[in-house]
Amino acid sequence: MRSPWTRTERSRRAVSGLLLAGLLALGCMPQWAQADDPDNCLLCHQYRGLGRYVPEQDAIHLYFTSPDYQHARLGAHARIACTDCHERSEVSVIPHKPVSKVDCTKTCHLHNVSGVARQFSHREADRWLSLGVHNPDTLAQLEFTNGPLLNEGQAYCLYCHDEPLFRDPADIIPEYDEFSPTATERCDVCHADQIPIDTRFQVRHVASRLVHARRPLEMAQTCSVCHSDMLIRETYELQDASVRYTSTYHGKAALLGELDTADCISCHVWPGENAHAIRAARDPESITHPTNKADSCRSVNCHPGADASIGQAAVHLDLPSLTGIEIILAVAFIIFTLMTFGPSLVLTVLELFQIVIGRHVEGEERMRQLTLNVLRHPEGRERLRRITPGQRWQHWILALLFAALVVTGFPMKFADQTWSRYVIESLGGLYNARQIHHYAGTLLVFGFLAHLAHVMWGMFVQARRTGPDGKPVGVVRAVMALPMFVGPKDVLKMVQMLGYLMGLRKKPPTFGRFTIDQKFGYLGVFWGTMVLGVTGFLLWDTQISSRFVDGRIFNLALIAHTYEAFLAVIHVGILHTCNVVFAPTVFPFSPATLTGDTPVTRLHEMHSEMVIEVAKDIGVAVPPEVEHA
Amino acid sequence: MPDPTTHPAPAHDTSHEHVGVMRRVYAIVLILVVLFVSGRAIQYLIVNLLVPYSPPEQITRIPSRLTEEVWKTKPDRFLGSMLAENPRAPLSHYHQIQGWFQPDPVNDCTRSGCHGPMPHSNRKETRAFLNMHATSLHCGVCHMESATEPLPLAWYNLRTGRKTEAPALLQAYGWLISEEGQAQLAEPTYQFQQRLIKLLSKAADQAAGDPTIRRLAEAVAGPRFSSPTFTGIVQTVLERLPSHFRGEYGAKLALLDERGNPLLGHPNTEATVQRFLDLRDELSPTAQVELLAKVHPQRRPDTLRCSDCHTRDSTMITLGTVGYPPERILTLQEGWIYTAIEHNKAGRPLYLPGFVAPRDEEGAATNPDLEVVPAPEP
Repeated sequence: MRSPWTRTERSRRAVSGLLLAGLLALGCMPQWAQADDPDNCLLCHQYRGLGRYVPEQDAIHLYFTSPDYQHARLGAHARIACTDCHERSEVSVIPHKPVSKVDCTKTCHLHNVSGVARQFSHREADRWLSLGVHNPDTLAQLEFTNGPLLNEGQAYCLYCHDEPLFRDPADIIPEYDEFSPTATERCDVCHADQIPIDTRFQVRHVASRLVHARRPLEMAQTCSVCHSDMLIRETYELQDASVRYTSTYHGKAALLGELDTADCISCHVWPGENAHAIRAARDPESITHPTNKADSCRSVNCHPGADASIGQAAVHLDLPSLTGIEIILAVAFIIFTLMTFGPSLVLTVLELFQIVIGRHVEGEERMRQLTLNVLRHPEGRERLRRITPGQRWQHWILALLFAALVVTGFPMKFADQTWSRYVIESLGGLYNARQIHHYAGTLLVFGFLAHLAHVMWGMFVQARRTGPDGKPVGVVRAVMALPMFVGPKDVLKMVQMLGYLMGLRKKPPTFGRFTIDQKFGYLGVFWGTMVLGVTGFLLWDTQISSRFVDGRIFNLALIAHTYEAFLAVIHVGILHTCNVVFAPTVFPFSPATLTGDTPVTRLHEMHSEMVIEVAKDIGVAVPPEVEHA
Repeated sequence: MPDPTTHPAPAHDTSHEHVGVMRRVYAIVLILVVLFVSGRAIQYLIVNLLVPYSPPEQITRIPSRLTEEVWKTKPDRFLGSMLAENPRAPLSHYHQIQGWFQPDPVNDCTRSGCHGPMPHSNRKETRAFLNMHATSLHCGVCHMESATEPLPLAWYNLRTGRKTEAPALLQAYGWLISEEGQAQLAEPTYQFQQRLIKLLSKAADQAAGDPTIRRLAEAVAGPRFSSPTFTGIVQTVLERLPSHFRGEYGAKLALLDERGNPLLGHPNTEATVQRFLDLRDELSPTAQVELLAKVHPQRRPDTLRCSDCHTRDSTMITLGTVGYPPERILTLQEGWIYTAIEHNKAGRPLYLPGFVAPRDEEGAATNPDLEVVPAPEP
């Protein structure tokens, strides 16, 4: 429920609360320091440089312990004395005697503000470990590519654990920052004296334990220490877990700073089960066993209500390791991209090349003069506006939505790039980015449908008209009369154009209102919107779509969505931008989609049929050699 | 671009030709750009399908082993750690590091590759303590000869190597406990508050963004300077600052040369150092010693000992002149550190916690539960 306070009130309370928190925290620190470091070890160990270098191991033995950890009680271990873990008899003399390695399963004493010390041990974690794939025997035998990561005798717990820190409670309870200074005051009414508890510590402790001990990205970092190590992967025949994780949506979200996305533990441990008991995927009791995988996705924390088919989706969609229809589709899309983008690229480059070599078409100047004459005519100028106001609006709406989709979608595709995180953070986080992406996509699809309806209606009206022969035009002729219709003549012109650009023909083909590449571009938008729309809706909420389609369809949808989006971006971002912004004939910008006016050079070079047709209609003399050409 | 319908180009002039050339050059550039970008796009498509992905640095670029090289590495090189809320320390160091180390890239002794950032390794009794000093003292302070005593010292900036003022943390504390500071604290002004915020913020920056000092600065900035809350916060700041005297100042003390600049290495030895590094495996022991002597022309024959500085009487370092506040000087030159050194010099081990137990003004341990082990005679 939203806070009933007004924004101003909330801000005021937050500021005053922050100050109070500062005071409380600062005021409490000296007492904490004394209570939590009874042996005063921090007198020396607070210095970051306290340590030595062992050349034989190329290792620095560092004896630094962060004083802030103890003073500000940053984690659960801030309550225990150094000598609870380190043997008192060994460290109570300077220089310390040879120090035994810490046994994490030994019993320690948790001191409470009430003065009662409770015994505690991590022995249970050791028992859980022995049930899973990370059993003590395996951990004891680990060998790393660059030599051992732990010193001899150190507990293998250190592979995954360091001094436990509380996560920021605001990660879990967003209102914590606002309420924290005063939230514990009510608790202290009872817990200050009668039932003494360090409430601030407890709140942070409990809040921190409501979620996994680390943020998703940090969890992946922890697992990657072993699971991305080459030697370990070879020894245990494992795939690189960092790569696998970041090929999932969850991994990408983690890279982009998302805090509540699934991490390694989410999918590799049964909900509610101890995280130490990770089992191998071949173990039928493992949550990652093929028979159980769907239940992992369908847990109440993740995709509750999803169909079991969701388990068939390749969570780690790592293209180079794909097989089956997924790889066929990926290859097909790459070929499709090359087949569509490639010819357009060749045409664009060859057109630019004509400028480089200074090639001129015979009669070019006469055509230019005719174009200028038509433009001087009031009606001629109006009729040479190739794009209607409605079409211009549609173009800019499409451009805006396209830009929004690219800005919000590509950071997800290239989540490992630094700029991606910057973009997502600028948008206020991945949740916002996804919302924008979804709604921009929806608007685009609706816009597409509206445009389709408009075209169909126009075509329908045209089909019912009477033609020059006195008969109804009919659907076929109406379709062929659409300005963007690509017919055999257009294909022929494209071949002719290619021949001209390659120097095989003396003259280029002539075009009317739209050139062949503009027509193909238009068809590309048609195709792209359909593909991206359908796949986008499928992927929007896999929880719901899993009830209608097989999980493997998600793989195909994701491949199609990502490749089609890529094709659209390179086509628009490289070729379209070059042609309408950077091409020498239009630079710095073609106003065609703003005012409808096409630059003169482009008109006479690329739309000469239209110019001649308009000239004839308005009575501007067309030189015979131009008409003949 | 002017509209040709209203501004027709002249039939022939040289500027038109010039435009033509520019147009061609522009077209060439555009072709190259288009081809390059398209090539990269197509390359991505194919590589993405065929070549196994590399693990992202955001996950794998973390310091898992604490080697000498890692110690010298700047924190921003560890992308994974930079993105983490709670970055992990290298695995063998279980405890939180809470930030990173301040490498000293301008110290010639380590920059040359001859010495590591933790060079002391011989005596178990002292090596870690001596290395601890490397975060706040240049090697030359103890190991280079000086014509004058006490040593002429100054702070140098760890990034630039240039002489700099005393660390902001020391300045802030020294000012607050001074008569002037106490008088101002009695009747705080806006300028007082602003100066304190500035000093604390700078201290946090110098301590690699230490979040605790940063919070102190934020707490000071919160209330009105005339409010009792402000005075209370400043008092708390006064109590807290001494616990941050940990040598993390973004600066170190170094000897001054005759021109008054920090002496960051033996003067005019770069070529000799390089020669030594090139030949050291081939040189005979005698030749090595001879060359080493040339590498260290200003080496102090008798390295300074702990008690040369950690003493009030005839100390080699007058801490007050380099900005240390009186209370810190007392701790370093008269308190338990001095006693511990004297104890150690006599060959007696120090037993904890009794030796360093917090005590009240009358010398009694403030925590009665502490087990005080009497130190045996040597």
